[in-house]
Amino acid sequence: MIKLTKNDLDKIKAAHQDDGRDWIKVGMSTCGIAAGADKVYALFVEEIKKRKLDIQIKKCGCQGMCYSEPSVEVRVKGLPDVIYGKVDKEGVIKILDKHICGNTLVKDSIYELRTKR
Amino acid sequence: MDQKIVFIKDTGIENDRTKDYYALFLNLLRENSLEDQVQINRVADIGIYNQGLVVKIFEQDVIYANVKEEQIKEIVLKTIKEGKVIKELLFQSPPKQLRIVLRNCGEIDPENIDEYIAKDGYQALNKAVQENKPEKIIEELKKSGLRGRGGAGFPTWLKWKLTRETPEAQKYVICNADEGDPGAYMDRGVLEGDPHSVIEGLILAGFAIGANKGYFYVRAEYPLAVQRVELALAQAYDHGLLGKNILGSNFNFEIDIRLGAGAFVCGEETALIASIEGRRGTPRPRPPYPSVKGLWDKPTAINNVETLANIAPIILKGGDWYAAIGTEKSKGTKVFALTGKVKNSGLVEVPMGITLREIVYDIGGGMISSKGIKAVQTGGPSGGVIPQEYLDTPVDYENLQKLGSIMGSGGMIVMDEDDCMVDIAKFYLGFCVDESCGKCVPCRIGGYQMLALLDKITEGQGKLEDIEKLKRIALAMQKASLCALGQTAANPVVSTLKYFFAEYQDHIVDKKCRSHKCKHLLNYSIIQDKCKRCRVCLINCPVNAISGDKEQGFLVDPKICIRCGKCYEVCKFNAIAKE
Ligand SMILES: Cc1cc2nc3c(=O)[nH]c(=O)nc-3n(C[C@H](O)[C@H](O)[C@H](O)COP(=O)(O)O)c2cc1C
Ligand code: FES
Repeated sequence: MIKLTKNDLDKIKAAHQDDGRDWIKVGMSTCGIAAGADKVYALFVEEIKKRKLDIQIKKCGCQGMCYSEPSVEVRVKGLPDVIYGKVDKEGVIKILDKHICGNTLVKDSIYELRTKR
Repeated sequence: MDQKIVFIKDTGIENDRTKDYYALFLNLLRENSLEDQVQINRVADIGIYNQGLVVKIFEQDVIYANVKEEQIKEIVLKTIKEGKVIKELLFQSPPKQLRIVLRNCGEIDPENIDEYIAKDGYQALNKAVQENKPEKIIEELKKSGLRGRGGAGFPTWLKWKLTRETPEAQKYVICNADEGDPGAYMDRGVLEGDPHSVIEGLILAGFAIGANKGYFYVRAEYPLAVQRVELALAQAYDHGLLGKNILGSNFNFEIDIRLGAGAFVCGEETALIASIEGRRGTPRPRPPYPSVKGLWDKPTAINNVETLANIAPIILKGGDWYAAIGTEKSKGTKVFALTGKVKNSGLVEVPMGITLREIVYDIGGGMISSKGIKAVQTGGPSGGVIPQEYLDTPVDYENLQKLGSIMGSGGMIVMDEDDCMVDIAKFYLGFCVDESCGKCVPCRIGGYQMLALLDKITEGQGKLEDIEKLKRIALAMQKASLCALGQTAANPVVSTLKYFFAEYQDHIVDKKCRSHKCKHLLNYSIIQDKCKRCRVCLINCPVNAISGDKEQGFLVDPKICIRCGKCYEVCKFNAIAKE
């Protein structure tokens, strides 16, 4: 057991700041999982490994957009952060083919745009 | 490859569905040989509603709303080609949502404590234990004006102060995560999306009142929330954020988790305490309040999940910062679970004082169907309905109460013309009757009798005197029940009677349900002019209530019909009348 001190908190904070890598984030709360987010997540993991892509895959909680679950947020440098909604297996492949590998947003499935953070 | 990215949202434009704005844009881009430099995307949602065609151009970060067809060319030529902003078209509106409780939900990995720490997690705890002035925390909360989010809206600072000031060596804090109201799932969202924010709040509560033991009371029907809280607790212990000498100070604190077996009444604080103690979850009269005599008769501060998630930001940013948000008596934000007939159902967090209309239309995107909004239900089974005339009321504790509803924990159900208000009242009352612990007479018998009256009314057997009886029993329950379950159980009936008396009258006098919900008052018949004699209704009727043949046509026998609505659903020619 490591006892944290104030400095350790700051160190962890510094170590976890945005490292500039691209990422995919799947909303994995009850609302998302009920709509199939766990399968979407698993498929992303599998495909990223298969294609040897340099992209992080992350989980997060409910983004509040329960009507469009499973939702997947994607950050790729040079493109705005977008949240895709109602993502299914086909959607996963499209996101990987187009957005991640092709630098083009996937049409008609974007549900929200995040302004630059 | 530096591409411009253009988003267009053309959904929800009522009058010209035939126009293909996407193609218009694309053609213009081609004409100007810009197609390689621009990525154009049609999006389902851009967070802006009822503003016609919306165009957002990324990189410049400009948003144009209410764009007319003829203006597209100007946008392409000026903004996209030359990078100039067209001022007249600009859409500027401050964001309606403000995320304090949900600050990390959907942002961080809830299973990784480091990600929480990276978002200033546990900094408030650190500040508190280093300064080592528990009273200062209570002082800061007093400035903030934070009130309990579990329903009653009791000032949090006062609850903590009273618990702190009760002379006793052993004290406890409890996080109430029982969340049992139908239609509410805010607390689940927070526990699943950012469990550490609640844990930090609970540790701070312990520190402020002088307790070294806390409990999480989570309902067992939230397995994922339970799992994430357990994991988060283990990580906090591992990092020395729980246990002995937290962050190098001499403050010790432990948290245990207890699972509730899913009784609504166990969300009531005294019943919850009984349940933790291993007894049957029934409430007891207050006073003494838990702040004086709580868990194992020791002073106990019990707070809701959302209340606790607010604590760390208040300590970090100061009470004044928080008090600047909201209305005079209701400070800060509130999370609502927006559901029902609204387009975008989901969790929203808004500053107090926002209007219901803004929540439903600007955040929720308006109604799903073209049917008009009838009412918004808030406060679940303890609350009431707010009719459409009052949609412009700013949402805070006082205003909702004045309207005969309550803030409650944060369920918000949008209802349209298809929802029968008598049926809604019956649903909520039925819930309370099921969930009543039966300890006190007004709630046990009063609820049952009221429900019987509502059953009678929805079956077409009601009399006008029944309304008076309903009101009398409601008053008795409000005045004499032991706990707030019984005291508030009649609210949905009282408030629907107040605003929708005409619907009760319809049921009683005309034997009609205008929303076609109460099936005993419905009649299905076949509209002979529209009927194509296809027999689909006859084949699908589960009780053979439809007879006839292709020459003579078909008829529904109301004596056999069980009003299941199957024929109505299966008829492709809208030839079944429901009235
Ligand atoms: C029948 C009933 C159910 C309740 N359910 C909950 C609940 O699920 N969660 C909750 O936080 N408070 C619930 N409460 C309110 C609690 O009794 C208590 O007021 C609250 O936990 C105090 O926390 P707060 O001051 O942070 O709001 C319920 C009350 C009643 C009467
Ligand atoms: S169960 Fe609480 S009033 Fe009866």
